[in-house]
Amino acid sequence: MLKRWRTRIFLFLAVLGPGFITANVDNDPNGILTYSQSGAQFGYSLLWTIIPITLALIIVQEMCARMGVVTGKGLSDLIREEFGLRITFIIMVLLVIVNFGNVIGEFAGIAGSLQLFHLSKYISVPICAVLVWLLAVRGDYKTVEKIFLTASVFYIAYIITGVLSEPSWHTAIVATIKLPPRASWGQQGYVFMVVSVIGTTIAPWMQFYLQSSIVEKGVSIRKYAATRLDVIVGSIFTDVVAWFIIVACAATLWAHGMGNIAMPADAAEAMKPLAGSYAFLLFAFGLFNASFFAASVLPLSTAYTVCEGLGFESGVDKNFKQAPFFYWLYTLLIAGGVAVVLIPDFPLVQFSIFSQALNGILLPIVIVFMLLLINRKDLMGTHVNSHWFNAAAWLTAVIVTILSGILMFQQIANAWKH
Amino acid sequence: MNEKRNGPSLTLLLGTPVTEPHGSLFGRLKDIAVATGADAGKIAGLVLKTKKGLKLVPATEVMSTPSGVLELRSTEMVQPLRNDENFILLKQDLLDRQIIDVHGRKVVRVNDVDLQWFSRDEKQDLRVREVEVGLRGAVRRLLLGTMPRHVVDRVARQFPARVIPWEFVDVIEVDPARRVKLKIEHERLAQLHPSDIADILEELAPAERGAILTALDEEVAAETLEEVEPKLQKAMVESLDSETIAGIVEEMDPGAAADLLAELPEERSEAILEEMHPEERQEVEDLLEFREDSAAGRMTPAFVQVSVEATVADGVEALRAFEGDPETITEVYLVDERKILKGVVPLGRMILAKPETRLEVLTESRFISCQADAHQNSVAELFDKYNLRALPVVNEDGRLVGIIEADHVIAFLRDKI
Repeated sequence: MLKRWRTRIFLFLAVLGPGFITANVDNDPNGILTYSQSGAQFGYSLLWTIIPITLALIIVQEMCARMGVVTGKGLSDLIREEFGLRITFIIMVLLVIVNFGNVIGEFAGIAGSLQLFHLSKYISVPICAVLVWLLAVRGDYKTVEKIFLTASVFYIAYIITGVLSEPSWHTAIVATIKLPPRASWGQQGYVFMVVSVIGTTIAPWMQFYLQSSIVEKGVSIRKYAATRLDVIVGSIFTDVVAWFIIVACAATLWAHGMGNIAMPADAAEAMKPLAGSYAFLLFAFGLFNASFFAASVLPLSTAYTVCEGLGFESGVDKNFKQAPFFYWLYTLLIAGGVAVVLIPDFPLVQFSIFSQALNGILLPIVIVFMLLLINRKDLMGTHVNSHWFNAAAWLTAVIVTILSGILMFQQIANAWKH
Repeated sequence: MNEKRNGPSLTLLLGTPVTEPHGSLFGRLKDIAVATGADAGKIAGLVLKTKKGLKLVPATEVMSTPSGVLELRSTEMVQPLRNDENFILLKQDLLDRQIIDVHGRKVVRVNDVDLQWFSRDEKQDLRVREVEVGLRGAVRRLLLGTMPRHVVDRVARQFPARVIPWEFVDVIEVDPARRVKLKIEHERLAQLHPSDIADILEELAPAERGAILTALDEEVAAETLEEVEPKLQKAMVESLDSETIAGIVEEMDPGAAADLLAELPEERSEAILEEMHPEERQEVEDLLEFREDSAAGRMTPAFVQVSVEATVADGVEALRAFEGDPETITEVYLVDERKILKGVVPLGRMILAKPETRLEVLTESRFISCQADAHQNSVAELFDKYNLRALPVVNEDGRLVGIIEADHVIAFLRDKI
């Protein structure tokens, strides 16, 4: 009996990685900004979104994992083979634009978090960009994955911050389970915040990255149960972290009436007098960890996805001459991100939020393609979606689409006003 | 045969309206059927989408007109499209799929297919010239529909083309029944060096990999599997049944086979060993007993040994009778009646000597060997120190049990770099 459990745990640890990492990279600076803002502005009353979001995330991620394991091909590969070059090209172009927006947000996070330690962004950002570039180009996948997994664990910093902020636990837990009273919905900006929180959790790039990681890892169908567990555990962990971020900001900033955060760094600053310098340090460190981590994953994943879909040579195991397009795209994404962040007085916050809106526009398109692919018997064999899974997945897609539509509408309306 | 320089491309042909002899619309070009196997490259016919369903018509029955529309000479040769035909459809089976470029030794994705009109028996026939995998094909696909076709073609020609002639294209078909019908045997692929085949397999998805491995001759498959990296070896073996694997493993070098089976879960390797011929099975089982990182774990039992009394002529006979791969042999080993290693004779010396010369005379005065339980690090040291190409392995009694070849040591050292 014990031996069976031991082999099960070893099996799980062997495939642990892609699901866990993807879900945690999701808590990038843009996400942290959104969660912090929701906690600071509305206290505990947005916590009820966490459970539905986690379910939606698990559903969407599980489909990509399943496709990766069964077909052994990445998502952009599948789209190319089944839907043709033109559709793939359009999606790739959109993905590059959207991901570039996200990359800018990551470097903004690096700049912001290190500014808390009085390091100028003109020093911190270029150095970190070089480190990020080297990590991907010189490191091999196994080492890099281990580093990422370790980085994921550091998100616990937020959990500790949450505890240190001495929240009202009873209120928090009740708010998580019960839907908010009708009055809350009428509050100014409440709907917008709900939409942002949901929209920031499931990003299009995550689906491509997860499926490619699983293909790269070479997970076979036999080991699929462990991979599914990896996806579920990752999604739960990342949303637990999100919960604690919201709680931490609710207990400190909201409780003291500081409802508005201009930058994630502001959240950390504001925490210092209220929850002590440990909370401040942890929050700042957590932010840096998230930014660096996301900056390492996102540009690389984008380069891989685009090369895969359009048929260019790719891979950090190849040198520049063998895979020129791959290296150019990767380097330009990083260099471009750095350049934009270093522009003095660049509206980093607006841009971060705008990038999440872009995510929201592309996401329904990607989910629809995923659903079309995963129901194909000739691709998935017996692993097509069951009826109720399909229902749940389509429902998620529809809700996400509607919410993204609302979010986009709100963004445009806001931009129009200024 | 008259060949036009710039033939039509698949992308620009698809969707072209096809009219009957008196001008009314008959249908649209939906796809093009190409024969495989012996008739490779020959267009079996054009697939037309008509109001009455899908039809097939030979390319000779169609003429191209100046307006770009295709016109049927007559409707006699038009037949309905049946599913059991043995051809592939260019748009459905080839476009956007991966194929193997046998000449370039890699896997590429098809962007477009270039065709060619040629004159045959006073009629114009169509055949596949090459596959487009570069920018030109991509641009044509992307721009189609946004501009008139001849403009798209002209713009696309500004971009460099990367083409693979049809003779060098190896189509991958995952369905085994269809593979047999299409006679896809990968003969050209099989002629590549096993390492190149292994590289190609590493670039493919599991289903395609399994399809190719089972289509190849067992000997070729064995040599290829030896060159595939261990993690992938395992994955590939997992997806095939024990009997098929056994057939391939039997043809592998026993040392490599033992390494492969050692990586698998015990029940799997047992199942595979059961299906193997007793002789090969015994060789592999013997090797499996040794630790993987010892000299014995690295060695192969395939070597040439002769009695100490033997002459050069006997040595050459022994070489002829050798069942393994003769290219790997660099020396011949001399053993006494109890199989104890007594001498080592490099092939070079054998060639220069007269046939009657006794091999004992030609042997190295001080030859190097190592114990079966020596660690692979000391083996590598010996290779470096004495500039060896092969190292005989002996057990505690001095009996010759196997040899280690330079390429095994190189593989082991590369793992450490």
